[in-house]
Amino acid sequence: MENGFIILLGLTMLYLAATSRIVSHIRLLIIQGVLLFLVCACHFQHQSALNIAFLTVETLVVKAFLIPWFLFKVVRKNAISRDIGANIPHFYCLVIASIILLLGFIAPNYFVGSEGMKMISPLYFGISLAIIIISLWLITIKHKIISNVIEFITMENGIFLLSLSVAKEMPVLVNMGVLLDVFIAIYILGLFVNEINREFKDLEVSNLSDLRDYE
Amino acid sequence: MINTILIFPIIACILMALVKKKAFDCAMVNVYAILHFVSSILLMFGIGKDGTMPYFSVDNTNLIFLLILSLVFLMVAFYNNGYVKTFEYPDTKIGYYSFMIMVFVLSMTGTILSSNLGIAWIFVEATTLSSAYLIYFNKTKHSIEAAWKYVFICSIGIALAFVGIIFLNIAQGELNTLDFAQLYKNASAFNPFWLKMSFVFMLFGFGTKMGLAPMHFWLPDAHSQAPSPISALLSATLLNSAFLVIVRVFKILDIAQCDVWARAMLLICGFISLFVTAVFVYHIKNYKRMLAYSSIENMGILAIGTALGGAALYAVILHLIGHSLAKASFFLTSGNVLELYETKRIKSVHALMEADKKTGWLWVFSFLAICAFPTSVLFISEFLMIKTMLVEGHYVLCALFVLLLTIILWGIGKVIINMTFSKLSEDKAPIIEKNRNKLCFSMFAPQFIMLLIVFILGVYIPPFLNDIINCAMAGF
Repeated sequence: MENGFIILLGLTMLYLAATSRIVSHIRLLIIQGVLLFLVCACHFQHQSALNIAFLTVETLVVKAFLIPWFLFKVVRKNAISRDIGANIPHFYCLVIASIILLLGFIAPNYFVGSEGMKMISPLYFGISLAIIIISLWLITIKHKIISNVIEFITMENGIFLLSLSVAKEMPVLVNMGVLLDVFIAIYILGLFVNEINREFKDLEVSNLSDLRDYE
Repeated sequence: MINTILIFPIIACILMALVKKKAFDCAMVNVYAILHFVSSILLMFGIGKDGTMPYFSVDNTNLIFLLILSLVFLMVAFYNNGYVKTFEYPDTKIGYYSFMIMVFVLSMTGTILSSNLGIAWIFVEATTLSSAYLIYFNKTKHSIEAAWKYVFICSIGIALAFVGIIFLNIAQGELNTLDFAQLYKNASAFNPFWLKMSFVFMLFGFGTKMGLAPMHFWLPDAHSQAPSPISALLSATLLNSAFLVIVRVFKILDIAQCDVWARAMLLICGFISLFVTAVFVYHIKNYKRMLAYSSIENMGILAIGTALGGAALYAVILHLIGHSLAKASFFLTSGNVLELYETKRIKSVHALMEADKKTGWLWVFSFLAICAFPTSVLFISEFLMIKTMLVEGHYVLCALFVLLLTIILWGIGKVIINMTFSKLSEDKAPIIEKNRNKLCFSMFAPQFIMLLIVFILGVYIPPFLNDIINCAMAGF
């Protein structure tokens, strides 16, 4: 069951790589949030009540509700619909993302024997790294800054999955601080998206290349 | 005392939000600066060290960082009193400005004082978020570009540093802690492979914040677009706090005897930083960007010194002190230049000496301090580093180091001399005449004090400071 959810999480990244509508990207974030909650829920019997409450709030309330809601507001305000002009056609995007995901499935199995890997499950580890790498790669090829924010969030989701893969709890204070920071970062980035749209009239990344040393 | 430094700004911010008076806001920044300075001095003498605050403590390593932060913040707050008067913004905006300065300094203090890697991570990210508004303060197209790049690049960097923390957790095996003291105690039993992996991620993550090349792209933009007191804080204190976290993580690898790997990484990053500065310093058209590149260079020197170890560590700490004070003074003076000429373009600034004598001399002496002209303390630190390289037989590294520093020195020196001397053009004279009255006493005194300290430390290091430096060396 748990593995199924993780594989679905990996597949959402393929959908992100293959589509261009911003609204469906944000819907995807809701799905990722719910999937992360389900992955967490598989471990609930081993965890303290405080941690369960925290993880529920983090995944369901923040990741699946607050952040997408805020992004929907930003999208509506700035009338953004599609991110068409990626550097690479969507088909190749899909192929490359699939290859990274495939490597995420295969590569960790070679390390299973090593000492450090006792603590972690290879599937968790591989898929979360694949999500992080696909997100970073998509950031470099997309043309709209709102897409960059969305990929930043998927990267954070990947890191969250990675931290679940280690079968150890971090102090709740640290977890809460991390969540707060990430949330405020996304909030600030969202506000900047509004400001950039007001200042430049559109949201192309290429607008933001005026500061440089060579002219 | 630790409680005071960390809790006062929170109370002050709440009061500022309630009172909403410009004079009150500015006064609060000054009160915090003085309180910060007094508390650090008391902590230096061991008074109030045993706070009841969990996760925060003062030890040998972070004491020197705290003292630098306090001194620079005090000077910047003093300068800020004059600088705020030159603003033509509504009072509410100046209120936000003061508010965010408090939060920014609070988060830097939190980073420096935290004794837990997780808490340090949270505060490093908090520094990014709180300084974003300060960089965007002027609300121009360029400042929004700089602020966007800053928040985006640094957030991704810090997120990768968190991956490093997770890997560190894997490396620990059965243990589960992020407390530095615990980590040092158990480091020798950690799994070397995961420890090395975690260092790579943390060096890149916190190195982004520290401004090490090749993760430095946000730095020249942010430093050049922020108001000058903020640039001074960014360069002289923010980069140091990120460096402290790297140093603490490096120590874990040192104890676990994986330090060869860590040293190689630091050395590579350090030399790339020097190289990047040497290449870019010739094409710069904006003098604040030039100072930002000089910060990258100096962070590179710190990384190289840490990698060398041994006697170079003493040099690293001296360099840290010298660079923070000299660069803060340089950035504050650049604020005066900007106020006088109303442009950041190097080509539009001539005859600074003629325009304003005091700014001109401060500009020249800040340059002499940063380029390690004796008796600047940076001369001692760079000399010691070169000596260490020669004694340990790294002749090629030494030659490269000296060559790159000379190229950078020449590049910066040429610009400074062009800006300072020659004749004032006719069309500039009325603008400067009009702006000269804006510069007041508090916009000269802080730089003078900081430069005085830099040049005195080059000939005489007081015994108490020597003790602090020697204690701090043990933490590297």
